Amino acid sequence: MLLNWDLISGAVVLGIFTGGIYALMASGLTLTFGVMDVINVAQGALVILGAYLSYAVEQHLHIDIFLSLLITMPAMFLIGMLLEVAFIRPLKHERTVFSILVTFAIALVIEGILGKIFTTNFVQLGANAWYVNQSFKIGGTYVGYIYLFGFVLAAVLLAGLYLLLYRTRFGFALRATVENRTAAQLIGIDVERVSAITFGIGVSLAAAGGMAFGATQTFDPGSHYDLISRLLAIIILGGMGSLAGAMIASIFMLVVFNVTSVVYSPTWGTVVFFVLLSVVLLVRPQGFLGRAEARRQ
Amino acid sequence: MTHLRPRRVPRLTLAVISLLALLALGWPSSSIFAAHHKGKKAVIKIGVSVSLTGDFSGDGQSILHGYQLWQSFVNHHGGLRGHKVKIIYKDDASSQTQVQTNYASLISNDHVTFTFGPFSSLLTVPASREAARFGYAFPEPAGGGPQVFQSESPLHNVFFVQPAPVVDDFASFAHWILSLPKGKRPKTAAYASEDDPFAHPQVDVARKILTKGHIKNVTPSAGSSHGVIIWPAESPDIQSVALKIAQTHAQVVVLGTTGLPEATGLIKAFIQQHYNPKALTEASGPDQGSLFSKAVGAKNTEGIIVPAGWWAGASTFENKAFVKAYLKKFHGGLGGISQDAAEAFSVGQVVAQAVNKDKVLFPASKANAALIKELHHGRFSSIQGPMKFNKLGEPEGKMFLVQWHHGRALPVYPKNLAVRKPEYPKRKWH
Amino acid sequence: MTAIKLALLGLLLAVAIVFPHLFGNATVTLVAFFALLYATMASAWNILAGYTGYYSLGHAAFFGIGGYAMAILCQDYTIQGGYGAFYLLPVCGLIAAAFAVPLGIITLRTRRHVFVVLTIAMLFIGQLLAFNLLGLTSGSNGMILPLPPWIGAAYNIPFYYTALALLVLTMSTSFWIRRSRFGLSLMAIRDDEDRAAGLGINTWLHKLIAFVVPAFFLGMVGATYFYFQGQIEPQFAFNPLDDLAMALMSFSGGLGTVLGPVLGGLLIEGAQQYFALTSGVGGNYLILYGALFLAVILLMPRGIIPTIAAIWSSYREKRNDQQASASPGEASNSEALGVAEGTSR
Repeated sequence: MLLNWDLISGAVVLGIFTGGIYALMASGLTLTFGVMDVINVAQGALVILGAYLSYAVEQHLHIDIFLSLLITMPAMFLIGMLLEVAFIRPLKHERTVFSILVTFAIALVIEGILGKIFTTNFVQLGANAWYVNQSFKIGGTYVGYIYLFGFVLAAVLLAGLYLLLYRTRFGFALRATVENRTAAQLIGIDVERVSAITFGIGVSLAAAGGMAFGATQTFDPGSHYDLISRLLAIIILGGMGSLAGAMIASIFMLVVFNVTSVVYSPTWGTVVFFVLLSVVLLVRPQGFLGRAEARRQ
Repeated sequence: MTHLRPRRVPRLTLAVISLLALLALGWPSSSIFAAHHKGKKAVIKIGVSVSLTGDFSGDGQSILHGYQLWQSFVNHHGGLRGHKVKIIYKDDASSQTQVQTNYASLISNDHVTFTFGPFSSLLTVPASREAARFGYAFPEPAGGGPQVFQSESPLHNVFFVQPAPVVDDFASFAHWILSLPKGKRPKTAAYASEDDPFAHPQVDVARKILTKGHIKNVTPSAGSSHGVIIWPAESPDIQSVALKIAQTHAQVVVLGTTGLPEATGLIKAFIQQHYNPKALTEASGPDQGSLFSKAVGAKNTEGIIVPAGWWAGASTFENKAFVKAYLKKFHGGLGGISQDAAEAFSVGQVVAQAVNKDKVLFPASKANAALIKELHHGRFSSIQGPMKFNKLGEPEGKMFLVQWHHGRALPVYPKNLAVRKPEYPKRKWH
Repeated sequence: MTAIKLALLGLLLAVAIVFPHLFGNATVTLVAFFALLYATMASAWNILAGYTGYYSLGHAAFFGIGGYAMAILCQDYTIQGGYGAFYLLPVCGLIAAAFAVPLGIITLRTRRHVFVVLTIAMLFIGQLLAFNLLGLTSGSNGMILPLPPWIGAAYNIPFYYTALALLVLTMSTSFWIRRSRFGLSLMAIRDDEDRAAGLGINTWLHKLIAFVVPAFFLGMVGATYFYFQGQIEPQFAFNPLDDLAMALMSFSGGLGTVLGPVLGGLLIEGAQQYFALTSGVGGNYLILYGALFLAVILLMPRGIIPTIAAIWSSYREKRNDQQASASPGEASNSEALGVAEGTSR
């Protein structure tokens, strides 16, 4: 078969834009791991929770879904702090492994609560907003404005996060904690406070990711199962704790999937991605931009 | 050192205690649920397992609504041969393990008289086998995949209460396309389906009929399964599938969707790609009434076709009562009524008619034997129209086509059931 | 092994053997069957995770491979439903173990969370292949397994005893490994792999064996499970939730102990089924189940068995102190014991 270059370039462009949305969802995950050694498998459920909050705001207050973030992100920030204080902080031994178990339980509870409040019907955000249906031409293909806006949102928030990390006192404390938790404590950094805020930031990023996810897909309370395995694969591939890595890995995943889909078959898209993931990790266990040595707890 | 040895015992002791505690848990579960039907007219209990959480929760909930509506309907009209009916339901969390436990428990603890089916072929097979072990009939609203009828159980207890076996859902669509006058008839078609035992065979049937009728299959052959693009159930991005279809510029698109997410995802992507096929049909999604029109935007539903066995305005048996009861209980418009609920309601109707004919309700074993026999031989009416089952429990009717016209899904084909003329070609996206 | 211990084990086994005769109810035996299967899975998983410190979230792949082995063997050799199919279990286990050898060689090149993710990838690749290799697995259509002839409540009984036999076999293996030189080497790897290698332990081979042995048992469990179900599909054969279940059960029971994962499996699977049966509306069941988990993990972070054992021994200690009959070595003795039993890590 002759390769259809329009199709391939279209797949690449779509992959890059969709990858931006995944990067937004994965950034909170990689951040909390970097700072706290916590693998938050509830991130998928929190993304869905964020999407439902935007949905509630849209339905009841009739506010545009992008503006709804002004309400949902602070709300989710508080939820995140609360979760950290109540459930993550008590974990003293084998933090990484136990965090997986605790956050899995949290994910189940969130799913249960969402099911009770919103029922289990599929919904979509901004179904009638102009940017969801209209598209613009780039190269040989069309891309919906929602993907562009989602990508811009991701870029803005991730840039903001970058500034927070590298231009503020809090960012300094946070990076010191990433570097060495104990040493940070010794030089007077309130590690627990840093952890709570970091977790809050991670969860509020999930709110933004959830909005973008919910505007490009229909979702229900059970959608988080599919999400979390992809998000985990992304942050491992990118290098755990690395924001730039998460961004690159998200785009890599979506581009690989889309190109395999259009050139050959969608059913092999995910296989190819996982095989490439395995190969990368065997050659470079720390992922694209991870540190060479996994830190000891 | 003498103290050392006894110290090692506690853990084992604990294990014993825990196991005994577990045994204790076993006691109440068999006694709490035990039936106490004394008194005048015993209540007839009917057991169902529905997915209220997990992958099938959306459809599972609608199925339950249908069953519950039938329960109030039948009780309002004197019950089953004078006995009040009570639907007992349990959540199976879309899990094959739990669905079996649920039916075992419904039969052996709740002592239900009949069992009705859950949602999806994936759960219907293990569930119907469990029911068969106890000699129970298994009329079910939503498990129509081929493997449901393959089970070698000599009991043949499965009855699929929809007008046609799922495989043939798209046959009506294909015949309609071929019935168009030659000048107007489309020339090219593209096919795609989720990798699903329920969706894929249907699309294949449409492809075979249309290809035979000289509608050219323009689906790219690389990586496709006999000219049908297959996408995985858990796909991170359905856009690429839409892109691949849009590039074929096919005039007819047949999509084997299994639910709202892919159905709306594909349509949105087509809109964004400015791809306007002349006819578009999806196996599932456009049948979900207002949920569908809310998700894709009401204007964009225009002209989309979905095979259906039921619609709100049908003049079928007891349909008016069903629609009225549904709207009273769940509000919303006519378009909001779920097809799942209608299918579940039909199960109750068919069983009620069979029981009224065979006249056996006690004991459960005899009632089920009689029900199985009756369902294999009789003809029944339902809100989905007449019902008749073959040896394997497959229905012997046909589906009709429903098309979205000005925000409502209305039957358009075949002629005897149509209330509107089919719209062709489909209008451009807004 | 002391006489008391033997007697208690015998009693446990006897209770398990007569259980279906005491509680003939189909629901009870069905839940007991599932609980035994999950206990076996947790016990097998613990050999790799608990003793060796490698947390695999992909071993459910071998459960699926065992299930497919059973389905394909039954189809190719037209095996009828009945007791005969149970003889295929060891074959299915061996097939799963054969797959585990190359997969173990690849994944064990990595450590810690990279290993975890590689095993997750292993599971998904397995699932996707099961979807895509139509000729072998029939893809998403799934395969039908032979229908056993037993009816009513009697159907569960042969499966119950098969599951019990698998559990006894897995536990004995686990127990034997725990007491053997081999097991000591595994635990040395768990505590410090580089040092273990420095001490002359062939870590590569030890880890590989610890990877393959659970695969063998999981293959047999998978074959039993899908023979019972009568049908196998990729998404249920290669189910990430099964991996999480094994991990949750092992952790809540007590990782690295022989009995902990078994108890965790029995209790959690039992509790899950019980909640789902009794709590009616869907969301409630998830909330209850999730909350119970949080409670167990946060209140008994070391797992049920080690926590209760610790409480018990501190109680005994106090009592002995009060009796003032303790020998001078008493306290240090019991502390040493806690470590030797591997309860604290």
